[in-house]
Amino acid sequence: MNISGILVITSPEHVDDVSRQLRALPGIDIHFTDNNTGRIVITQEAETISEEVNGLKHIRTIPHVILAEMSSHYFEEDREVLDAIPAELDDEALKQDNVPAYLNE
Amino acid sequence: MDLTRREFLKTSAATATATAAGISVPAAVLAESGKGDADIQWDKGVCRFCGTGCGIMVGTKDGRVVATKGDPDAPVNKGLNCIKGYFNGKIQYGQDRLTQPLMRMKDGKFDKNGKFQAVSWETAFDEMTRQFKKTYNEMGPAGVAVFGSGQYTIPEGYTMAKLMKAGFRSNNIDPNARHCMASAVVAFIQTFGIDEPAGNYDDIEHTDTVITWGANMAECHPILWARVSDRRLTNDNVKLVNLTTISNQTSDIADSEIVFKPGSDLAIQNYLMREIIKRNAVDHDFVKKHCVFATGPYDIGYGMRPTDKYAFEAEKDIQVKELRVTLDKHEAIAQRRKEGEVVEQKNTKKPVKHWMISFEEFKRGVEPYTLDFVAEVSKGDANESMDQYKAKLKALADLYADPKRKVTSFWTMGFNQHYRGSWVNEQIYALHLLLGKQAMPGNGAFSLTGQPSACGTAREVGTFAHRLPADMVVFNPKHRARSEKLWKLPANTLNPKVGSHITKIMRDLEDGSIKWAWVQVNNPFQATANANHWIKAARKMDNFLVVSDPYPTVSAKVADLILPTAMIFEKWGLYGNAERRTQAWRQQVAPPGEAMADVWQHLEFAKRFTLKEVWGEKTVPGLKAKGFEDGKLPDVLAEAQKMGYSPEDTLYDVLFATKDNLKVKWPDTAVAKGHGNHIAEKLGDGWFPEKALFNEYREFGVNFQHDLAEFDVYYGDKVRGLKWPVIDGKETQWRFNEKYDPYCAKGSGFDFYGKALKALPSGDLDKVTKKDKTSLAHKAKIFFRPYAAPPEQPDKNYDLWFSTGRVLEHWHTGTMTRRVPELHRAVPTAQLFMNPDDAEKRGLKRNDLVWIESRRGKIKALLETQGRNRPAPGYTFAAFFDEGVFVNKVCLDVTCPMSKEEDFKKAAIKVYKA
Ligand code: SF4
Repeated sequence: MNISGILVITSPEHVDDVSRQLRALPGIDIHFTDNNTGRIVITQEAETISEEVNGLKHIRTIPHVILAEMSSHYFEEDREVLDAIPAELDDEALKQDNVPAYLNE
Repeated sequence: MDLTRREFLKTSAATATATAAGISVPAAVLAESGKGDADIQWDKGVCRFCGTGCGIMVGTKDGRVVATKGDPDAPVNKGLNCIKGYFNGKIQYGQDRLTQPLMRMKDGKFDKNGKFQAVSWETAFDEMTRQFKKTYNEMGPAGVAVFGSGQYTIPEGYTMAKLMKAGFRSNNIDPNARHCMASAVVAFIQTFGIDEPAGNYDDIEHTDTVITWGANMAECHPILWARVSDRRLTNDNVKLVNLTTISNQTSDIADSEIVFKPGSDLAIQNYLMREIIKRNAVDHDFVKKHCVFATGPYDIGYGMRPTDKYAFEAEKDIQVKELRVTLDKHEAIAQRRKEGEVVEQKNTKKPVKHWMISFEEFKRGVEPYTLDFVAEVSKGDANESMDQYKAKLKALADLYADPKRKVTSFWTMGFNQHYRGSWVNEQIYALHLLLGKQAMPGNGAFSLTGQPSACGTAREVGTFAHRLPADMVVFNPKHRARSEKLWKLPANTLNPKVGSHITKIMRDLEDGSIKWAWVQVNNPFQATANANHWIKAARKMDNFLVVSDPYPTVSAKVADLILPTAMIFEKWGLYGNAERRTQAWRQQVAPPGEAMADVWQHLEFAKRFTLKEVWGEKTVPGLKAKGFEDGKLPDVLAEAQKMGYSPEDTLYDVLFATKDNLKVKWPDTAVAKGHGNHIAEKLGDGWFPEKALFNEYREFGVNFQHDLAEFDVYYGDKVRGLKWPVIDGKETQWRFNEKYDPYCAKGSGFDFYGKALKALPSGDLDKVTKKDKTSLAHKAKIFFRPYAAPPEQPDKNYDLWFSTGRVLEHWHTGTMTRRVPELHRAVPTAQLFMNPDDAEKRGLKRNDLVWIESRRGKIKALLETQGRNRPAPGYTFAAFFDEGVFVNKVCLDVTCPMSKEEDFKKAAIKVYKA
């Protein structure tokens, strides 16, 4: 479970439109909007961290989004298996004697 | 997680973000939001990654980093982080974190051909010391070396520099920062006589024109780019121009994108200066009062070895250009010579020498750089029409020349990693100085740095082969004397001979002139161009290589001994970013297992040497400095005894745990506020090394144009870093500008007060005609530098340009960011970006596995013909973070001859299906 705070910037005339599209995305809550400066503050909740990263990419593709950057991130309970780590780094042997096998190849 | 807690967390995440964005949050919500992370302890920190230097808040719970957020009080990033920065809290938790020293062993003993086995610190230091003494006694200070870093904390760089230079009397310490900004440094010293930018990041909000040259800020300095975007998008008058060799994300919001041929930036700059003169846009008042004109030799080589003895057969046709160059058509015009003329490279030993010239001579120098000529030399995209390209160059000149416009030029590796990197850096200052647009809010040429403490540590502390702290240099007798006094060393302890720069350390390992080396906070065996040579040198030569790292990197894999090392928030530290801002953090969590911080490793190693082993007479090959004509560093032990040292004292006692330093006590509750210090605790002799050594280092800069505040000041609750010089507690916003900089003489307006290289002979464009030196104190230099062609260019066999660089998601060689699953998933591998037409011509499709081959080696990568980089026909790009796509096996180890920084941007390759 991951929660991140994201700042989205659009032009003032597109705040409503962008907000509507943001709301349609999974895990997104809109917390604050500033119609004068085009700033929208959202949180994103995602089951896995890759969903979270993809979510941000998705936000950036919404028309009229000028900028979307994360600002805060909570990952306390995220101890998910590192299944996406490069193969040479994901080695059972690591846990036993701390000498990665590939070091001795 | 229950629903309320989840809501709390969301509210606090949103509140933090809103506060950062300057959106007002109702008081009731603010009160609520505090509860979400009530059990997390927050403390200020600095991002581990790029030279932007964003402030972050680090949240810990039960001895573990559990959260990070952009620091809303940090002026650099005002609460935002880029995607890498956002995962700062995770880099230390990779599964293969090293927690014990590992040594190559066979039959219970060290063996260069053995396998890695876990050993104790004691055994590790014993072998390391034995090997060091063997080499040191046989070869002297020249036989040992340290690969340092622009990611060293300030105390780390300081202790290592002091141990090497004052202890072992060796200048063979050079950082990876050499590959990152050495060209920028040369230009600062040559132009201003002092290192580092005049301006600061607020230039972004003050300027109306941002020009990026060889700087993909959108990916490489993302938060600064967010500030630039914000400025652009909220103000119609603001214009952005991106000059690049490959169309990239920085072009996305630019008003104009200029795609130019590799190396032709030199020609474009001269065109702009010629235009400024023709249009009478020169600020003559400013130039007369504050500048002189200068030039230097062109026949300076390309920083390769002077011999082909070590070259692969295929490399020899490029290597020979180190000795002589046949001028091509464009160079001939640009340098006022004849096409086909063979130029012996006579000034490879003295590339930095220069002399004053008149404004008339300067004008004569830029005269050949007409729009027609420069457009022909520089147009990079074959699909763009010549007319359109010329119009863009003209429009660029309009922006620079407009007297009503403020202009900030940014650059990074496109300029710095360049076979004439120091020249292009000098020329950008020349352009701004001619216009009188330098050192004022919104106006200035601003060199961005890559690494988090390239400025703060590598440059200011001076962990380079030629430097001492505060811009001093080892070959200047006065600087040595001042350093010996501050370090309480006998006279003539310091070695006047410049040591080996980082590429030369590699070459020295290859030819056996260095046999012991220690790698710290960097991964040079992946990050140095032409890597096949260096990997062989590490494994096949008789030498001993130590690597300190948290993770098993490529460098660790080729080492003999690996020391498990503490990371960023596991230790105390200070970094200095690209705007001269020094920022500090405390240890937040303890390092895992037996991992220990670099400072501790230095101090423990120092305990194993007595003065009599290092301060006796030492022979240094090639040493010729005045007073050292016999090629030897003198025995200084007698002098040391007079100063109260015993020959049996250790380097730890004499250099580090000195009487004064031992008075700086740990625990220090006022600063520590409950945070631990694993180094002080392990040393157990009651002092606070980082604080004592920082305050000792600080003495070098005080009243010497480099004033830092005291250690404790940086740890103040309200302080988010301070831009040096810090005088009477106040930071300096714009240097050399009387209004902001107390070092400027009263009434000067502007004062380029830097002290280096401020007396010059004079001459014409080609030579010195008057040897007597004229003082140019308080002035900056406007250099004329001609276009010179890249030494390696595509030909029939290697028919494509190749450049390497970064991607947003990864840091350098990926040793940290590839261990963060979300970053790894986002960009799992380095792809080869190629123009779709080039792919089609070769019968290749997107996602094909292809060979990339140069004169130096070949590697495999997946082909990408879409996406964030969009090369024009003839150009390719692959990032260097991925050890599986080892691009430095392909890259060329040509360097700027002045700065010795490698050119990672211009190799010729061929690509075919794997
Ligand atoms: S990587 Fe650079 S831009 Fe990103 S958060 Fe860190 S310092 Fe800021």
